Amino acid sequence: GNPPGPSSSSNELPLRNLKNQASLCILVDNHEISSGPEVISTLKNVHGVKVQICSLGSCDYIVSNRLAVERRCQAELLNNAHRSKMVQRIQQLKSKFDRICIIVEKERTRTGEVWRVFHRTKYYDGILSAFIQAGIKVLFSACQVETADLLKELALVEQRKNAAIHVPTEVEGSRQDVFRFYLSIPCVSYTLALALCHHFGSLKEMANSTPSEMAGRTQVNLQKAEEVYRYIHYAFDTQMLPVVVT
Amino acid sequence: MANNITPVRAGAVNVPFGHVIGHEKWKGSQIAQEMQGKIKLILEDGLGVVDFHLPNRSCVLYVSEADLVAGNGFKRRLVRFRNACNLQGIVLVEKTQISNQYFPEVQKFVVLELGMTLLPVASQKEAAQLIVQLVHEQTKSSNPFHSKKSTKFLESSVFHTVQQIPGVGKTKALLLLENFGNLHQLCNASVQELERIVGHSLAQQIHTFFTQTK
Repeated sequence: GNPPGPSSSSNELPLRNLKNQASLCILVDNHEISSGPEVISTLKNVHGVKVQICSLGSCDYIVSNRLAVERRCQAELLNNAHRSKMVQRIQQLKSKFDRICIIVEKERTRTGEVWRVFHRTKYYDGILSAFIQAGIKVLFSACQVETADLLKELALVEQRKNAAIHVPTEVEGSRQDVFRFYLSIPCVSYTLALALCHHFGSLKEMANSTPSEMAGRTQVNLQKAEEVYRYIHYAFDTQMLPVVVT
Repeated sequence: MANNITPVRAGAVNVPFGHVIGHEKWKGSQIAQEMQGKIKLILEDGLGVVDFHLPNRSCVLYVSEADLVAGNGFKRRLVRFRNACNLQGIVLVEKTQISNQYFPEVQKFVVLELGMTLLPVASQKEAAQLIVQLVHEQTKSSNPFHSKKSTKFLESSVFHTVQQIPGVGKTKALLLLENFGNLHQLCNASVQELERIVGHSLAQQIHTFFTQTK
């Protein structure tokens, strides 16, 4: 939480931040309400970021139209107990997002414990190497407050690169079904589904758009728009369906 | 520091796999000793600001605890590297009880401002182990995080997408796909065309779902 000291100088800083970053928006998966409450409250109260809690499912945070952030505790990276889950998750993210960042957060220390010795493993070095090799950005955080700070900084960098989330983050009424339809497309991220919802009048209109039209309206890159286009035109073959329909 | 020294080694792009070319200043250091036997380490001069050249166009720049405490000198070195070449820069930072306080600021500078990679290590011993893993990872053929752009079959995904239409379950979804072939055709189907596959009211519902505007 915030230090209670109500000196005038400490009051001015958050206010100034609030003003500068009025348009900063970060989408947060609802499971973070329980696992990262301090991240959320710091983003809101200290950095003045617009935090939208959503059911993202596939990732922890979305800080721009193209960047997804995963928050992982350091212990999870020390041995291969969580490996297959992690690999699956990252591959899923790669299909939806151009950029991925992992924030490696230190476990909360118990009271009185100042400096816990960290036993670095070969597995830990290996998995960090694999992240780097795959072009995944890695950041290190000592606590939830620091993680919030890093998320804000990432969102700011993305904003400077014109990738900030500007689209309305909520979908209302019957559009929610349309939104879910868009979300079910494997290469479509939560933010792209929002953009498709808000920038196309109807689903039919989206389905009949060319990749360059889609890219123009939603600000997604042409490659991604082409991927969506291929999906919409993908010729379904019942023989290839692995599910037995009863 | 003399400006006539090249910031990186000439021909640094071609480090053979399994090899590391290190700056000669590391001769006899713990970092060099720890790498012995695990990796082929060659020490050379003329590496400029780089401490180790790894295969696959990447370089390690080492920032010690003393560098961090001393001030911003190391930043100039990193900027010089960044401006000199487009090799991948991996910055290893000695993060200890003493230098811990500088870490967040250094991380912001290296990763968010310079766009380089930063990895904390507690000692030269850890740094050596990490460099060995970095090199091993480059030699390995399969990185689990590289998305294989596979030409996988999308049938089950498309099947799932069609089931997002209100009122459409598995049976109806399959019927619709068998008759219209793809999502594009399905979105453009008229009520009459849909009626031939599903009942009147569902045909209406599906048509409305595809055509309703905000």
